[in-house]
Amino acid sequence: MIKGLKIFGLAVIFAGSMIAPAAAQKPGQGCLVVKTVVETEQVVVNDKGEKTTKLVPVAKVVPGVQVIYTTTASNICKVPSDKVSINLPVPEHMTYVADSAVGPGSDIEFSVDGKTFAAADQLTVMENGAPRKARADEYRHVRWNFKTSFAPEGQGFGRFRAVLN
Amino acid sequence: MQAWRILGVASAFALALGLGSNKAHALGAPAGTVINNTAEVSYSVGTVNATASSNLVTVTVAEILDVTVTAQTPSVSVSAGDTQQAARYRVTNTGNGSETFRLVMNSTIAGDQFDPVPSATSIYFDSDATPGLSAGDTPYVVGSNDPVLNADGFVIVLVVNDIPAAVVDTNIGITRLTADARTGAGAPGTTFAGAGNGINGAVDAVVGTSGADSEADTSYLVTGVSLTANKTQTVVDQFGGVQPVPGARIDYSVVINVAGSGNATNAVFTDNIPANTTYVPGTLRLNTALLTDGVDTDAGDFTATTPAHVRVALGSLTTASGPQTVTFAVTIN
Repeated sequence: MIKGLKIFGLAVIFAGSMIAPAAAQKPGQGCLVVKTVVETEQVVVNDKGEKTTKLVPVAKVVPGVQVIYTTTASNICKVPSDKVSINLPVPEHMTYVADSAVGPGSDIEFSVDGKTFAAADQLTVMENGAPRKARADEYRHVRWNFKTSFAPEGQGFGRFRAVLN
Repeated sequence: MQAWRILGVASAFALALGLGSNKAHALGAPAGTVINNTAEVSYSVGTVNATASSNLVTVTVAEILDVTVTAQTPSVSVSAGDTQQAARYRVTNTGNGSETFRLVMNSTIAGDQFDPVPSATSIYFDSDATPGLSAGDTPYVVGSNDPVLNADGFVIVLVVNDIPAAVVDTNIGITRLTADARTGAGAPGTTFAGAGNGINGAVDAVVGTSGADSEADTSYLVTGVSLTANKTQTVVDQFGGVQPVPGARIDYSVVINVAGSGNATNAVFTDNIPANTTYVPGTLRLNTALLTDGVDTDAGDFTATTPAHVRVALGSLTTASGPQTVTFAVTIN
C-alpha cells in the first residue's frame, strides 16, 4: 500500500508540471516563452529592382561579419507578466556594435561583468584605479527592462548587433 | 700611368636586416569555434517571481582565407653579374585557421630596366639566422614543402636571382613573390564548402579581403661604383735638372677618382715600387697628411719585402668622398 501511494504521488506531480503552462490558469513559472534567434542582414532586390535588406538565420560566420541577436518573450498565460527583464549576453569572440540595442517599451542597460548593469551613459569601469565610462566594445551583457506588463498574448523583444572578432 | 678599376663593391645587405613593420595580423576567432548564446528572462506574475531561458542559438566560425606578403627590404643593392642575390619576404597567414600556401616568384615585371634572372633554385625558406642566402636555408619545392601556417603564423622567404652582366649603374630590376591559399583564392566572399580547417574539423572556407592571394615586389638596384687612378711623376736630379739619372728623385702622385652611385667598401690602394728605384722613407702621404712607413694605426705603410710596395687603406669611398691623392717618392738606383 505504501509503495503504491508513493508512485501515485509522483505521477500527480509530473502530470501537474506538464499541464501548468498550457493551462495557464494560475500565475507562476512558464508564463513567458522565450525564443532567441541569430540572424544576418541580407540585401535582396525586389520585383521593382529596389534593394532592401532582410534578416536571415545564420549558422556560419566569418570574422568581421555582423550578426543580429533577437530575443522575444511571449506571454502565454491569461494573466499579465510584470517586471519583465531580458538578459542576453554578448557571446565570446563577439563585439557589441555601439548604439545597436533596441527594445520597444524598455529601458536598456549594459554590463561588462554580468553583475552590475547601468544605462550606457552611466556604466563605468575602473582603469588605473579610477572610474571611466565603459566603451560599447566592452559590453558583455545587454538587458532590457520592460516598463509595462506583458498582457496575455502580449510580447516584447530585445535586439542587438555584434561583430565576430 | 696605371689605372685600377674596382667594380661593384656594393653593400648588398645593408638593408637586409631592416625588418619592415608588419601590421597584418589574423582576425580573432579561430575557424571552427562554436559560439553559443542563451537569453535569460526574469519576470513576475502577481507576487510570484519567475525565470525562463531561451533556446540555445549557435553559430560556427568559418575559416577565412587571407594572406599578406611583405617585402622586408624594398630594394637590394647589387652589381652587374652578381649571382644568387636574395630578396627577403615575410609571408603571414592573416586568416583565422591553419592554411597551406603556394609560393610563386616572377622576375619578368613591367616597369623596370632589366629582368633579374631567377637562380636555379629561386625560392628558399630563410631557415637559419644568417642574413641573406646561406647554406642552411631550405629550398622550396612547390607542392612538396608548401608552408603550412597557423593563424598569425609567418615564414621568411628568400627569392633568389642572378643579375645580368649587361646592366649599368642605377638600373632597377623588379622581382615579385606571390602567395596564395591552397584551399582556394578568388573574389572576396567566395566560399569553398567544407574545405576549411576548423579547430574541431572541417568548416566552410571563405575568401577574405586579400582574395587569399598577396604579392610584394623588391627592386634590385644596380649600385656599381668604379675607382680610377691617374698617376703622374715629377723628376728632380741632384744637379737641379729633371733628368732621370741615377740618384735623381721621382715624386709620384696618384689621384683616385670615384664614379657611380655605389659605395666602394674597404678600398685599398697598393703600388709597387718600380724596379731600379728605392723608396724614400717618410714620403708617403694621403691627401697631404703624412703617413708613417710602419704597419701601425694610420692608413698607410711601406713594405720592403719583394715586391716592395706602398699601401694605403682608403676605407669606404663614394662620389661624396671626392678624389683621394696618394703621394710618395723614390730615387733612381
